[in-house]
Formats: sequence, structure tokens, C-alpha cells
Amino acid sequence: MAKHIMSLTVNGDTREFAVDDRDTLLDVIRNQMALTGTKSGCNTGSCGICTINNAAGEAVLSCLTPALEWDGESVTTIEGLEADGQLDAIQQAFVEFGAVQCGFCTPGVIMSAKALLNKYPQPTEAQINEGMAGVLCRCTGHIKVKEAIRNDFRLRINKGAESGSGR
Amino acid sequence: MLLPEHTLLKPVSLDQCLIMLRDLTAGGGERLEKAQLIAGGTDVIFNMRLKFFQPEHLVSVRRVPELQRIEELDDGGLRIGAACRLVDLADDPRIQSRFPAFKQALDAVASAQVRNMGTLGGNVCLETRCWFTNNSEEWRQGRQGCFKTDCEHCHVIPSSTHCHAINNADTPPALMALDAMLTVQSARGSREVPIAEFYRPDGMDHMDLQPDELLTHITVPATRDRNLFMKYTPRKGMDFSLGAIAVRCGGQGERAENIRIVLGSISSAPIVLVEPARVIEADGLGDASIEQAIEQMRDELGEVTNLYGRATYKKQIAKTLVRRALVKIRERV
Ligand SMILES: Cc1cc2nc3c(=O)[nH]c(=O)nc-3n(C[C@H](O)[C@H](O)[C@H](O)COP(=O)(O)OP(=O)(O)OC[C@H]3O[C@@H](n4cnc5c(N)ncnc54)[C@H](O)[C@@H]3O)c2cc1C
Ligand code: FES
Ligand code: FES
Repeated sequence: MAKHIMSLTVNGDTREFAVDDRDTLLDVIRNQMALTGTKSGCNTGSCGICTINNAAGEAVLSCLTPALEWDGESVTTIEGLEADGQLDAIQQAFVEFGAVQCGFCTPGVIMSAKALLNKYPQPTEAQINEGMAGVLCRCTGHIKVKEAIRNDFRLRINKGAESGSGR
Repeated sequence: MLLPEHTLLKPVSLDQCLIMLRDLTAGGGERLEKAQLIAGGTDVIFNMRLKFFQPEHLVSVRRVPELQRIEELDDGGLRIGAACRLVDLADDPRIQSRFPAFKQALDAVASAQVRNMGTLGGNVCLETRCWFTNNSEEWRQGRQGCFKTDCEHCHVIPSSTHCHAINNADTPPALMALDAMLTVQSARGSREVPIAEFYRPDGMDHMDLQPDELLTHITVPATRDRNLFMKYTPRKGMDFSLGAIAVRCGGQGERAENIRIVLGSISSAPIVLVEPARVIEADGLGDASIEQAIEQMRDELGEVTNLYGRATYKKQIAKTLVRRALVKIRERV
């Protein structure tokens, strides 16, 4: 099939790619940018593992969208959260609260949590449940994930000060 | 795993989009074969992944500015572009305050991820679903085909002469209860269809939409009536409905005028309950009258399938939804 040239900014890094109509955004991120943090799970929208953030900081499924629809746009993946060797507060919270087991879902869960916190910096229980319903973790039972999200705000305030005041 | 071969087209105006649709579908053929519209893509790409949809062209409505706007009408109604995202509509304070049933239905669609991508037009025009076409091509090949895959057979009701796939979208029952009007356009011109007349009880050909036509706007007229939407699903916040209901009703307390009760996700088209509405209008929203209305609805469900649940269970869900929705609406002012 014919290839088309498209440009995409991933984590602030703008590049051009030769893309096939059949490629999804996930294919480009993983195979062309070699950013394999974003995982491929069901490939049909049901598991949320491929979640990344769009330019507005909203959670979207990279498996369910043609790459060419994203020509000229900008996205953030799990690799883009850390800045200057410092984990983002939500990543730090996941570490502190042990919200990771096998880790396969973690990039999708964290990018979903990040989007949730972008929209609601101090989410209610209902907002957490709603916002995180689109991504499945088979290991943690979601409880520790919710704990990490509830504590993100505290970590963000404490950031720079001594960290690790959790458990 | 790559998607099936196709060409993605990206028109930047409504005119360009309509001309593309006209030219691509000029030779006739099946609705889904030549050109398929893609909005958020959450259902189109899903179906392409399963190699159920294999269109030659995808025509994207993402860059068509005419379809992205919400217009405020003089009387407080809203004229909504078909490509508006579900999340933007759910976050719109006008929809929250004026059309609770619509807001509740928008919130009920899938997950935050899907609502951040999916559009109202895509939800209104959602393909009907069943467990057979919801599986991969490899899986389907191990079995007999069905009407949708070029075989005279329905897996849902094997003796049937037509397809029983379900209209599983959440906003249609709410929009039907609210008397929404659809604007459909093609290069040949534009027409208005009340959403109540848009759907057909046929899983194969479930919409009044020609291959060269596009849904451009959904108009929700102003209303003072109480209204609500509810959905029943095993896993809240992600799953498709096992049953859904929308009710709109004038009057206060137990007095009910002009009531509209619409069931979704039970059949190939949303069902407007006629006799139950008549009972409630005559006798009000008291407990006894509600039970009588539920008794009356049995004949109106049509052939209930075993899709995603036994038929008897789904009838029970329908009854329970009617009871819950009517009890709840009488508490609304
Ligand atoms: C995991 C998962 C869960 C889901 N759960 C739900 C749910 O609970 N409830 C629910 O209702 N839906 C659900 N969906 C289905 C779907 O995501 C939503 O219905 C969504 O609103 C579809 O919108 P879209 O813009 O992504 O549609 P697309 O996938 O882009 O299009 C859907 C269909 O509509 C047609 N179409 C799109 N725009 C137009 C237009 N302007 N005019 C004419 N035809 C058009 C397309 O050709 C296609 O056939 C779910 C999907 C997934 C993947
Ligand atoms: S891989 Fe995208 S939702 Fe499962
Ligand atoms: S940590 Fe294993 S799936 Fe979530």
C-alpha cells in the first residue's frame, strides 16, 4: 500500500513518518518511534492498556484510531511524564502505594490517571471510579491504584520537599 | 496486526465530504463496502479490526467544521453538529441543566477514553451488534456465516428470516424521548427526519440513511418536561447496555401528561412503549398504575433475542427498568 508522510509530536519530539493507511497511532508510537512503554492489549478498545494523552491532556485509546488522523498533532505517552530524571507525582504515587504488580497495565493505568487528574486535580470517589473504569488491571484489584490517585495531590504539594511520607 | 486495506480520506468542508460520498458510492453496492464514514472511530476501527467492516475508503468527518458546532436555538433548544465529541456534550452545562436524560445517556457510553474520542453522530449511527460479528474473522470462519456476512442465517434466532443484531447505542433512546430531529444531507440535498422514524427493526438495515448520506445535525428541542435515562449493565462505566430506558413526562408528581417511554438495547431498534404510556397518562404514576403499565408492555417488546442474556432475563430487565424509571420520574419536579 502507498505510504503517506505525516508528522507527529510525541512527548515534545516532532518527527515525520512514512505511514500506511492501515497503521494505528499505537503502531506508530511503538514500531516507528520505538516507544514501547505504551502496550498493546486487546486492540479493540476494551482494556485501555494503550491509553495515551492527547494535546489537551485527555485520555485516548491509541489502538482504536488511524495514525493518519493524528497528522500534525501532539500526544504524550508514559515516557513523557518524567521530567529531568524526576518522576511525575502520579508515577511517584504509584511507586509509593505499590499500585503496580506485573506492570503490564501500568502505562495505560497511569496515563488514564494522569488524564483524570488533569480534569479533576482533586477527584471525588465517583470521579475516580468513572475516570478509571476504562482501563483494566488484572493484578492489583484497582484498590492500590485508587490510593495512589487519592494521594497524588499531596505528593504534588510536597514535591521538592522530602518525598516518601507515605508508607 | 494491521487493519484491513483501505484509503483514509480527510475532507475539510461539508461540501467536499458530500461530493466524496457521492462519487465513492455512485456505482451502488452495499452500504458498508465502498465508503464508510469515520468520526471518533471507536466502532469503525473496532469492526475493521475484526475484519467485519472492510470498506475500500474511510471518509473522516474530523475536519469538517460544519459538524463540530453547537448552535443555541431561540427557545433554548440545541442544534448539535454530528461530529461533536461525547465528552464535550456531557460537559456542556446547557445539556446538563436542560436535558438530564441526554446528559445521563452521554455519561453512560463506554469509558472516559471512548467518550474522549467518540462522537454523537457515531453513537446515533452505531452499527447494530451481536455476538457473532463481535468476534474476529478467524473465530467466525469456524462457524456458519450470517446475514451480515453473506449467508442466509441468523445466529441469534436461527429460524429467522432476518438479522436480529441489537441497536446497542445509549443516546438514541434518550434522544427519542426528547423528540430530537435529525438532519441528514447528501450532495442531492438535505432532509429532516424525526429520530423516532429513523430506526428500523432490522439488524441489517437499521437506519433510514442512504450510502451517500451523512448525519449532519441532531436538534434537541426545548422542553419543560421531566426526563431521565437509565441503563442496566453488569459492569458500570464500560459495558454496553443489557437494557436502557429513557422517559420524558409532563405534569408533576403522580400526574403525567404527554409521557414518552423508550426502551433501548432490547431489539434492533429502540422501542417506544405505547400502551404503557396510555395507562400512565390515564391513571397517573401511582404504584398500581405503574404495575399495570408493566403488564401492558409485554406485547410491545417484539421478538426478544437471547443476545447477551436469555430472552426471559431481558424481558425481566425491561420490566424492572420501566418500574425504576417511572418511580424515579414521579419524584422529579
Ligand atoms: C470498549 C467499548 C465500549 C463501548 N461501550 C458503549 C456503550 O456503553 N454505549 C454505546 O452507546 N456505545 C458504546 N461503544 C460504541 C462506540 O464507541 C460509541 O457508540 C461511540 O459513540 C461511537 O462514536 P464514534 O464517533 O467513535 O463512531 P465511529 O466509530 O466513527 O462511527 C460509528 C458508526 O457511525 C457511522 N457514522 C459516524 N459519523 C456519522 C455521521 N455523521 N453520519 C452518518 N454516519 C456516521 C460510521 O460510519 C460508523 O458506522 C463502545 C465502544 C467500545 C470500543
Ligand atoms: S489495546 Fe487499546 S484498549 Fe486494549
Ligand atoms: S499490574 Fe498486572 S495487570 Fe495491572
